[in-house]
Amino acid sequence: MSVPNQKHQTGRWRTWLVYAVVVAVAGSMLFRLGSLQLVESPSWVAQAVENYRSEVSEPAPRGIIYDRNGYILARNIASYNIVITPAYLPDDDADIQHIYREISQLTGTPAGGPVTEESLENAKLFAACAPGPSIADMVALGDSLAPFTPVKIVCNIGAELARAIRERSVDWPGVAVEIEPVRDYPTGSLTANVVGFLGPIPASLKDTYEEKGYIANRDKIGYAGIETSMDDVLMGRNGLRVVQVDVAGEELRNLEPPLEPRSGLNIVTTIDTRLQQVTEATLKDEIDIWNDWFNELRISSGVVIAMNPKTGEVLAMVSYPSYENNRFARFIPSYYYDQLAQDPRHPLVNNAISAELAPGSTFKLSTATGAINEGVIKLGQIVQTPGRLLLCEQFSPNDPCIEGRNMRPFVDWVYERDGVINEAGFGSLDFLHCIAYSSNVCFYKLGGGYKDEIAEGLGIFRLGEYAHALGYGARSGIQLPGEEDGLVPSPQWKRINTGENWSTGDTYIASVGQGYVLSTPLQVLMSGAMVANYGKLMQPTVIREIQDDEGRVIPVWFDPNTFSLYRAYDLAGEDGRMGRVWVNLADETETYSLPPPDSYQISPFTPTMKWDATVEPLIREWSCDAGYCDPTGNVKTIQPSSIEAVRNGTRLAVTSNPLGTLYRVFNELFPLPVAAAGKTGTAEYCDDVARALQKCDFGKWPTHAWTLAYAPFEDPEIAVLAFAYNGGEGGSVAAPIVARVMQAYFELKAIDLAQGGE
Amino acid sequence: MLRNISWRYFDFWLLGAVVFAVAFGTTMIRSAVAGNEVLLPLVNRQIYFALAGIILIFIVGAIDYRYWMALHRLMYIAILIALLTLTGFGQTAFGAQRWFQVGVLFLQPTEFAKIVAILVLARYFQATQDRPRDLRWLIGAGAWASGIILLILLQPNLSNVVVLSVILGALLWFNGLQVKHVLVFGAIGSLVFASVVVLTYYNIRIPFMQEYQQDRIANFILPDPNATFGATYNVQQALIAIGSGGALGQGYGHGTQTQLRFLKVRHTDFIFSAISEEFGFAGAALALIIIVVIAWRCMRAAQKARDVAGMTIAYGVATLIFFQGMVNIGVNLNIVPVSGLPLPFFSYGGSGLTSLMLSVGLVESVAMRIRQLEF
Repeated sequence: MSVPNQKHQTGRWRTWLVYAVVVAVAGSMLFRLGSLQLVESPSWVAQAVENYRSEVSEPAPRGIIYDRNGYILARNIASYNIVITPAYLPDDDADIQHIYREISQLTGTPAGGPVTEESLENAKLFAACAPGPSIADMVALGDSLAPFTPVKIVCNIGAELARAIRERSVDWPGVAVEIEPVRDYPTGSLTANVVGFLGPIPASLKDTYEEKGYIANRDKIGYAGIETSMDDVLMGRNGLRVVQVDVAGEELRNLEPPLEPRSGLNIVTTIDTRLQQVTEATLKDEIDIWNDWFNELRISSGVVIAMNPKTGEVLAMVSYPSYENNRFARFIPSYYYDQLAQDPRHPLVNNAISAELAPGSTFKLSTATGAINEGVIKLGQIVQTPGRLLLCEQFSPNDPCIEGRNMRPFVDWVYERDGVINEAGFGSLDFLHCIAYSSNVCFYKLGGGYKDEIAEGLGIFRLGEYAHALGYGARSGIQLPGEEDGLVPSPQWKRINTGENWSTGDTYIASVGQGYVLSTPLQVLMSGAMVANYGKLMQPTVIREIQDDEGRVIPVWFDPNTFSLYRAYDLAGEDGRMGRVWVNLADETETYSLPPPDSYQISPFTPTMKWDATVEPLIREWSCDAGYCDPTGNVKTIQPSSIEAVRNGTRLAVTSNPLGTLYRVFNELFPLPVAAAGKTGTAEYCDDVARALQKCDFGKWPTHAWTLAYAPFEDPEIAVLAFAYNGGEGGSVAAPIVARVMQAYFELKAIDLAQGGE
Repeated sequence: MLRNISWRYFDFWLLGAVVFAVAFGTTMIRSAVAGNEVLLPLVNRQIYFALAGIILIFIVGAIDYRYWMALHRLMYIAILIALLTLTGFGQTAFGAQRWFQVGVLFLQPTEFAKIVAILVLARYFQATQDRPRDLRWLIGAGAWASGIILLILLQPNLSNVVVLSVILGALLWFNGLQVKHVLVFGAIGSLVFASVVVLTYYNIRIPFMQEYQQDRIANFILPDPNATFGATYNVQQALIAIGSGGALGQGYGHGTQTQLRFLKVRHTDFIFSAISEEFGFAGAALALIIIVVIAWRCMRAAQKARDVAGMTIAYGVATLIFFQGMVNIGVNLNIVPVSGLPLPFFSYGGSGLTSLMLSVGLVESVAMRIRQLEF
């Protein structure tokens, strides 16, 4: 090899070609590198940030709901769920199966066989936490959607089991125990209609809530009761941490200063759980007694409300049947919800504010107030009250009255009792006894007029004025969702809604709370409370106070029209004087420097007066010409003496022996330590249920039982209303409930006094 | 065998480039495995292998490469046995067994098989240098290479089959392969590749190819619209790492893709992405250029080699380093399907680094024994 030999040398062109390839390949790599790093860099940086930037929402604890004595009605408790993060499971299928089987052994949830398309489709039908699908299916489903999101396998396990799983999970990658706050209602169905329940954020509101930092599948909102109406107060504000995470999802550090969660405000309601308990028990007991007596399921539902007429505080509000809101704590089970929704008694509806019913004779308080205030009857004037009255049905003032055609008998409730006809009725009564005995004939005459005896009746227009003044025909504005407004009918309403003229008969029966008149139980109670409170109608309320988590009372206003809540902040002005600003809790950009219009203060508790009818001229004057009436523009108040007269009439119902409608119940059966007064009602009705039972024939109509009463008579502090659906006679069925609740109220008061309470 | 030694011709540029590449790579490995206790000892292992490798370069450089020519049968049989053993007993969880465990060392015979293939082919071309470049000559070279190629195919390790095939092709080319043969084999190769893609597209399995390999090729050519996230995850993360590096990088130890482990196998297959993220375009281009420089120095040695064997060895090593490097970078840049080939001198791997240092030693041996015309 000492001789130089050029022969083995590769041809120069071959080498150059290879160099060209090298340069081309390396050059294209360099070009690609440059386009990625120099041109497209910003978008890749954004993707890198997206990789490691994670927003963690820290749930704010929801406010607690107390009763007036600090007893908890709604709170948050820890619930333990077994969760599996699909991405962190071991690689080996055998190991995974092993984990599934062990969990299955501990919890009873099926481990599941091979995952098939069918089993996956089946698993999709179940909500998280609902038992049914196997562990393998649930994990496979979660893996296909978001492998790093924990899948709930078994929910609400015991603390003991949670500890056991947690110990074992060291050897089970991907398995963890999650602590989930769950709403708990210690009083359950007892207060469900007032407190309500929570549910998931619906898809339609998802965007709105997510804007405020709520997580759609985690955070819950109120679906009923105070949980709904006070949602803005209770919810607080979720915290937010922007953190850097590694590929395993481990949080490494905060990228931005964290926003701490602000817990929701606590609510003290006006409800007295003890009284609520007695009330519910009493209602159920009386219903059972009567159903046993008639040996049929006669009374199906009922309402009892107890309120302080001087402050408007609702101490007890029972709508029976109710529902168990604890069963909605984790999720809303469809079988239970369907069962409730299809129940003809509407357990999900708070009948105290949402049922529109004929008020019957309890409505006579409106007629009585109007009649005495308008001078339709003088205080000592005697009215003849036979057992029945032949009255004329006229659709216009000139309609002739022809017996057998448009004349029909209007009977009093004493006309036929146990098959015995009493043509004499009550005989002759003065105004107070008309109320005390609840004489229909008397009120027909007062409402519609009768010959020369009552030359001009109150008439439907003036009756409407007084009914409105007593709280009928409009929502009360209580802080509960779903309130109805009832109906105080007018001729105009009838023409629009039935296409018929108002008739004299309509006026007669409206005078006794029948016909077109509809009201909610709360409205009936308000009319009684207004009379009890000498003409001052207080705003009914279930909220007594709103506190922060350190017990400081937060000033809050409530707008019943929009259900908006406004928190008042005290600000020191530039000149050093204190000023106030009201901020909408749902939308902090909505602020006022005066209390927002139409709103009233709910915290700290200050009794809000809706109106004092003896001071405010609420009653409009009407002038009629040939049946057509218009307001004249003149207004007037209700004379204190008129209220006084009606009060005395209600007192006489208790004291008048033996015909006073409440005499027997309040003096013999359930005597009270203080003087009580009240009014019963037996309202004929015909609804779908009654019609199906063929009970809607003339004279055979079923009746609702009503009673409202207040005590002590001179200075009332408690007003109670009881309503029993298809209860029969008010004085027999509803009155005992009212009396028993009142007894309980005064007993509890005595206990509180003995213990040095309020 | 130490005759004709001339340290004057020892290519210090080549050695310098290699040392720089290994140092750069080790530095990057240290950043890539930071925070992972399992992988942390790898940094020191790589340093030991690198130091041993530099010594190896000098030792192998000192030994006349023609000495190995005499041992070619022995080496060939030894490597065939080693590969056969792996194939025969290689049923493990991974699907493909590529290691011998000797004490703490994991030996990958495949890496050494590539060097043996180069040496055996060098001997063949040396012996047949005066023969016409006819089909017989061509088949002879193919026969020597195919012994190794077939056994690697049986592992199966498609990437290295491709590497060996490219080395074979390149060495044939440098030794005077006729253009008409190039065209014929080019046509056959294209046809095979096309049929692989088509068959895969219609879900037909091909023998000797793992399903995932078939899928990778098919996915690359015809991206599957229903592709799962997992199939493209690693490459996507690599692109994010490279792109977010920008011109000058995010700084050593500060690349979020690398440090937060979004980038997978970042100390081996995707170390180029880690470099790109932390050192930016400047660092990544430098790494690319170093590979090119090393390959160029090898080619330069080949051009000056005193005989066909030396030339073939140097060209073979140049091809090995350049092709493997470009495929790896191409994978990182998502212009080549995922292959599993490491970046020469940069990626972690004892056997890989040792065999590369060995091959650089062979090139130095060739360089030190060039035709001595200049005196």
